[in-house]
Amino acid sequence: MSGTTSTALRIRRGITLPLLLLVVWEFSSRTGLVDPRFLPPLESVIATARRELFGNDLIFDLLSSLARNLCGFLLGAAVGIAFATVLALSPLAGRLVMPTFNGFKQISLLAWIPLISVWFGFGEQAKIVFVALACFIPVVLNTYDGMRDAPADLIEVGRALQFNARQRFWRIYLPSAMPAIATGIHLGLIYSWLATVGAEYFLAVGPGIGGLVIAGRERFDMAMVMVGVIILGLVGFSLNRLAATVENHLLRWRPPRAA
Amino acid sequence: MILTSFLRATAGAAFALALSWQPTLAAEPLVIHVGYAAIGVDNRPFAEGTSAATARAGEFLEKEFANDPDVKIEWTFFKGAGPAVNEGFANDQLDFAYQGDLPSLIGRATGLKTKYLLASGARKPSYLAVAKESGIRKIEDLKGRKVALQRGTNSHLAAIKILEAHGLKERDVQVVNLDSAATVAALTSKDIDAAFGDTQLINLAAKGSADIIYTTKGDDPRFGRNAGIIAREAFITAHPQITQRVVDAFVKAAQWSSDETNRAAQFELWGKSGTPIPILEEYFSKDTLAYRNSPLIDDLLVSQYKEQAVKSKEFGLIRRDVDLNGWFEPKYLDNALERLKLKSFWQPYGADGKPTAS
Amino acid sequence: MAVLTVTEVHAAGGAPRVWRKRTMRGLTALLLPAALLLLWWTASDRGWLAEQILPHPVYVFEALRDMLASGDLVYHVGVSLRRVLIGFAIGACLGLALGIAMGLSERVEDYVKPLFLAFAQIPTLGWIPLLMLLVGIGETLKIIVITKGALVPMTLNTFAGIRNVSPRYLEVADALRFTRWQRLRLVILPAAIPFVFTGIRYGLTHAWTSLVGVELLASSEGLGYLLVWGRQMFWLDTVIIAMLAIGVVGFIMDGGLNRTERLIQRWKRSEI
Repeated sequence: MSGTTSTALRIRRGITLPLLLLVVWEFSSRTGLVDPRFLPPLESVIATARRELFGNDLIFDLLSSLARNLCGFLLGAAVGIAFATVLALSPLAGRLVMPTFNGFKQISLLAWIPLISVWFGFGEQAKIVFVALACFIPVVLNTYDGMRDAPADLIEVGRALQFNARQRFWRIYLPSAMPAIATGIHLGLIYSWLATVGAEYFLAVGPGIGGLVIAGRERFDMAMVMVGVIILGLVGFSLNRLAATVENHLLRWRPPRAA
Repeated sequence: MILTSFLRATAGAAFALALSWQPTLAAEPLVIHVGYAAIGVDNRPFAEGTSAATARAGEFLEKEFANDPDVKIEWTFFKGAGPAVNEGFANDQLDFAYQGDLPSLIGRATGLKTKYLLASGARKPSYLAVAKESGIRKIEDLKGRKVALQRGTNSHLAAIKILEAHGLKERDVQVVNLDSAATVAALTSKDIDAAFGDTQLINLAAKGSADIIYTTKGDDPRFGRNAGIIAREAFITAHPQITQRVVDAFVKAAQWSSDETNRAAQFELWGKSGTPIPILEEYFSKDTLAYRNSPLIDDLLVSQYKEQAVKSKEFGLIRRDVDLNGWFEPKYLDNALERLKLKSFWQPYGADGKPTAS
Repeated sequence: MAVLTVTEVHAAGGAPRVWRKRTMRGLTALLLPAALLLLWWTASDRGWLAEQILPHPVYVFEALRDMLASGDLVYHVGVSLRRVLIGFAIGACLGLALGIAMGLSERVEDYVKPLFLAFAQIPTLGWIPLLMLLVGIGETLKIIVITKGALVPMTLNTFAGIRNVSPRYLEVADALRFTRWQRLRLVILPAAIPFVFTGIRYGLTHAWTSLVGVELLASSEGLGYLLVWGRQMFWLDTVIIAMLAIGVVGFIMDGGLNRTERLIQRWKRSEI
């Protein structure tokens, strides 16, 4: 279906709407069609971005958010993979724990905020734990499913070759679960960014992009909110791309699976 | 190979995490964690209106321990106000805190092991501001309207008492839970009809973005709010001398804050919180500094707390009875007053609100 | 059809064994929650667990009983459910329409998708402060946020579903000289239904998560508000009840959709 239209045309089409939006935005804010408090002119958004970047600590805010995100993500992913491996390799453990886990995962992530706040307080730990929890859930689900779906014939081969537990893990379960783990990690990365923003909104005040957005709203500074929201989107986008690249890289040895 | 590098990264993260955990675990040097149940404008780490705010901005605690390189003071200001301070006490991240009456009573009722060491910012007035063109002229008009308050703070309790005195219950108004900064934004944009609070509302009214239609100032003093310096029991037991010195520093700050010759300097100091000086002048108009900044745990204060406890239970803010016996710990305050020769500096008040002869 | 009969026969023949196995599984699944509850109970009783970290289960049950008796819990659940259903209905319809439009027309896709994806990159939580400035903190805010939460997965899945229709089917449709409408109704939409359903499931999950977020930030009723309320008043029992309510509602919605999804798939299989 695709490929019939040239790339140039597609790009031209793709930027039409955004450009149109920008023109309408600029026009309406310049002619006073809308209240500039709700839709500040483009240049004031750019000026705000400048001010935050050079005058204030935008970079520091961004780095703080990213560091928080990364710490939580790594913690959640590592614990998640280990946890899911144990559950998947021991059928009894899986049957014991997975139903409870599936029940717990139904509780929306943000609903954990009050308890995490009470358990971990106002420091950085609380935020990192929250981000880790966000990453933990999809990683566990996908890793578990991936390992449980290891092809029966491979397991049979392993039994024939008298693999020990470690060999079974490294040679059979892990490789066959790799695509699922990659999906879990990808989802975990997206969720952990969401959770980073949530943590900055609802846990104690600290440097971060989420805090910047909230502060912008409190000051009724739409330009500042916009700058923050755009950064949130850009980081989300970059993380998504990064995850996709890593996913492809991790799975590059895998021949494309037939159907 | 990818896996090993992944593991290495994980180990790195765990290490980083361990590092970030360190400060709370490290025993030496001693870090005294002091919390404050408010935050400055635009999240400035300062406050105003209390002797504790003076201690912070005037660095009274830091000066007290200036010659002890092993003791560090760490201040934390809470946007989540008193309720957030309770969370800090719950996992031992705070040693001392300035906190209002209701949240500290809630903490006590929930089993937090704290002591009340001295008063600070007791007798603070409350204000009721309404959005422009909201049509609200008196408290009775609030029925059914959207009213912002920060749940679980001493301002919450004060608001309920004010509503009650005018024949309204909390359920008669539509309560929107907002912190002080969010209240300002919501009142300006008329998302809410009214709000209870203090200096941020005076400031808003001064800018013409809202109208103040009521204040407890000059009204029944029982509508006022109380607050004080609360400390974690385990810290007091472990470091009685340090506790004494912290209390000394707070008392010195209270003394400075109560001295009328410092009125202008004090408002300047509190200005670090971002609250304009004229607003602070208005906030303290007609009150003597010594009345507002007294650290005394006198009969008036104790009876007020007892009444707040009863009221809180009555209003359903606290579900279980809260026992105040043994919570007030005036020992350190008395020592400080003795040592600093301030025994007759402040006028104690009786439970009836009248000065008592001492 | 054949597959179905085999499984049915198998299930019928081994019914008692299947049942015994199921009961065993059910019991095993309940072991951990029971153990956790027992541990929680003992720890609270013996004072190993401070009350301000986790309240005694008895307090939680008492609070639950009180909130059920007073109707508070039902009220807050009702408020939240109404918001989610309205927002989800709007978001799902819009998403379906947008997904179909982009799926059918490459031109629409080229024009709309880049902008749509750019908007979708921004987490729902990020939109909330911006929308608060635009529409205030009233009911409109909640509905818009939930709508957005449902819209994105719905659009993307519908789009993917339509694009994933096997070219062979389309060839058949061409051979049969189907009109455009026939192609859409008889070939493309039925083939896309499983994807649309995935969209509905994710959409509803996202809508539910967004609801909690927006209710945490600004509201005076609903389950998110109950959470904030409990947090502010340091009533951890209320917090736990709100969490459980959020989980139970999420579970029921997810479970219901899961079952419907399987039914639809079975119906599809039998049709083919």
